[in-house]
Amino acid sequence: MFNQLMQKGRQLAGIGSLVTALGLAAPALAQDKEPIVFGGSIPLSGVFAFAGIHGHAGLTDYTDWINSQGGIDGRPVQYVMEDTAYEVDRSVAAFKKITGSYSPPVYYGDSTGFMKSIASELNSMNSMLMSGASFATALTDNEQYPYQFIPGPSYSQMFGIILEYIASEGEGGDMPTVAFVYSDTEFGKDPIENSKARAAELGIDVVEEIVTKPGSVDVSAEVLKLRRVRPDYVVFHGYVLSPINEFMVQMRQMGLDTKFMGTFWSSDKLIIDKMGKDADGYMGIMPYNYYDAEESGPMLDALRAQAEKSDPEAGYRPTAYIQAWFNAMVWTEVIQRTLDAGKELTGDNMAEALASIKDWDTGGIMGIPVTVKDMSFPVGRIWRVNAAEGRYEPVSDWIHLD
Amino acid sequence: MRIGDAKQTYVADEAIWTTSTQKFWFSILLLGLLIFPLLANSYLLYLGCLVGIAVISTTGLNILTGFTGLISLGQAGFMGVGAYTVAWLSTNTGLPFPITLLLAGLMAAAVGFLVGLPSLRVKGLYLAIATLAASVFLHFIFAEWESVTGGMEGLSLEPAHLFGVTFRSDFAMYFLIVPLAVLAVLAARNLFRTRIGRAFIAIRDRDISAEILGIPLLRYKLMSFALSSFYAGVAGGLFAYFYRVVTPESFPLTMSIFYLAAVIVGGMGNLLGGILGAAFMTLVPEALKLLTAALTPFFPNAPVFMSPMLEIIFGALIVGFLIFEPHGLAEIWRRVRRFFHLWPFRS
Repeated sequence: MFNQLMQKGRQLAGIGSLVTALGLAAPALAQDKEPIVFGGSIPLSGVFAFAGIHGHAGLTDYTDWINSQGGIDGRPVQYVMEDTAYEVDRSVAAFKKITGSYSPPVYYGDSTGFMKSIASELNSMNSMLMSGASFATALTDNEQYPYQFIPGPSYSQMFGIILEYIASEGEGGDMPTVAFVYSDTEFGKDPIENSKARAAELGIDVVEEIVTKPGSVDVSAEVLKLRRVRPDYVVFHGYVLSPINEFMVQMRQMGLDTKFMGTFWSSDKLIIDKMGKDADGYMGIMPYNYYDAEESGPMLDALRAQAEKSDPEAGYRPTAYIQAWFNAMVWTEVIQRTLDAGKELTGDNMAEALASIKDWDTGGIMGIPVTVKDMSFPVGRIWRVNAAEGRYEPVSDWIHLD
Repeated sequence: MRIGDAKQTYVADEAIWTTSTQKFWFSILLLGLLIFPLLANSYLLYLGCLVGIAVISTTGLNILTGFTGLISLGQAGFMGVGAYTVAWLSTNTGLPFPITLLLAGLMAAAVGFLVGLPSLRVKGLYLAIATLAASVFLHFIFAEWESVTGGMEGLSLEPAHLFGVTFRSDFAMYFLIVPLAVLAVLAARNLFRTRIGRAFIAIRDRDISAEILGIPLLRYKLMSFALSSFYAGVAGGLFAYFYRVVTPESFPLTMSIFYLAAVIVGGMGNLLGGILGAAFMTLVPEALKLLTAALTPFFPNAPVFMSPMLEIIFGALIVGFLIFEPHGLAEIWRRVRRFFHLWPFRS
């Protein structure tokens, strides 16, 4: 009995080894060229994990998808990442670890702090292009950050799009008034000065500015300030959820008919999930079509199909997933353009390829052809929450800042 | 087995290295630190530099908290003062790093001196809150004094330089950071052979008794704060040169907690404990990632599940040390040494 079992075990082991060997050999035979590596410092833990997990899924799914399409220029793509816990020193450690073992021409950075910290090294390396979760306005400074780009509009550009929308709502020259509510962080303060200047250009009166801690709960004093000035619009920035919900609920309880708007990180389903029907009417700027939007396009459809394939149970995919996918799309486009031009994948060549992107059709990820300006994609659309449907619906056309 | 270490003079009693064995192992350590950058890759060099900065700051906090018994949650703020001093001086005056780092230390010491004033009236948790308030105040200055600190955008700076030599790479920075870390620890070791250092310990053990013995509490408590902050300022200056960008968010409150945890985990009132604690707090999260790397070939989704788990394991390790070895890593190290000293007999 024992001998029979052993013999059967050996047979199974032999078959298993053969299958394993064939399994390992098959991709090697199909794609025996050197892979192009997508590197990433990804916050799978820590305070930004709510987005990092979906960003990781987006990059993983895009890698699988692009490999199913034959890779880039016939070369397979390999996605290599490390968790950072959203801490700059650990993000840099992940960068060093990955770049020590691989030569990724493109890299996902998880925070503005990391992107700034690594900039000097990136500049001296001249071998990599970087983008990621940050929409910081500072990164549009081509002198200081020549090899970093923003996968959408910068925060200042997001405010620019919001203000253009508000200006378009002014009837008969009676321009709406606006209040800015932002967090006391680098993230929160990023677009404020530029946006005040832009509001003045458009003739919009910024009647109040309120600074709070991110995640504040008690905002009753701030709400009273807003009640005094009665702004037509309140634009939030530098938050994910709180205190946006507190402001909205309390101001509505006071009978104010103010409209509420937010930027990228505060314009996802979380607001609807947490606020329910109170979220109705909240508006956000989003440079990409939502996963559950009615719009479609070849790339948007591919994204949805790949997301469904990789995790059929997941359902709705947050904007962090789409943002990561779009990052990888841009990397692919840039690498392809650089290789097509017969150039090496250096930082300079890839930055040049990025700057050459003009009227690029993103296949439905963004609703209109886009042109790169100052290492960013200054495009967006205003969406409004339909609480009954549990999703965002477009209320403006796509706005492309010049 | 070592059987005795008789000291026959006061000089011998006060010596830093009392036996030839200690001298031998210290020489080996220095040699190892010298050879390490020649063998290590960029990642390990980076971690080496991080540990070096952490050792300086932890040693500073150990002087204050471990040796003088004054708890502080302001270490990140003091590091920020040092970092901004270096960034500002480097950008506006172009001074070489020995001068900027010295001034960073002095500036942080001056701030630490002021922050230490409440320590004359309060101690324990009350002092922790006072230093926490100072940390918040410093953060406010970093964020709002735009003409000097660059506001929320912060300051970028050129690499450290001296006599035409530029410390740009991790390799070069290692040779700036690690010798300074060794120097900082040796200076601290020397400190506790002096009247000042012993006064700190006397204050920690019983401040009223210390005062009766003729130790002016005002002078020595403030001195401890200033010294500790000097260390933090130098560490912050090195941090600035290392990352070459300084923003208010570079020095969050969690950083102060990190250093306090390093002192406690390593062993309060023990310089070796500070070193081990700094290394533990910096390297263990990285080492734990090896678990994820080992699992990923079998479970491709392992990073998603393991990453939050590693944070829990790291936290559990800290709690475990506090429960099972309240004297910290230094005590474990002492037991290991004792085992070898007495080998082949049981300790």
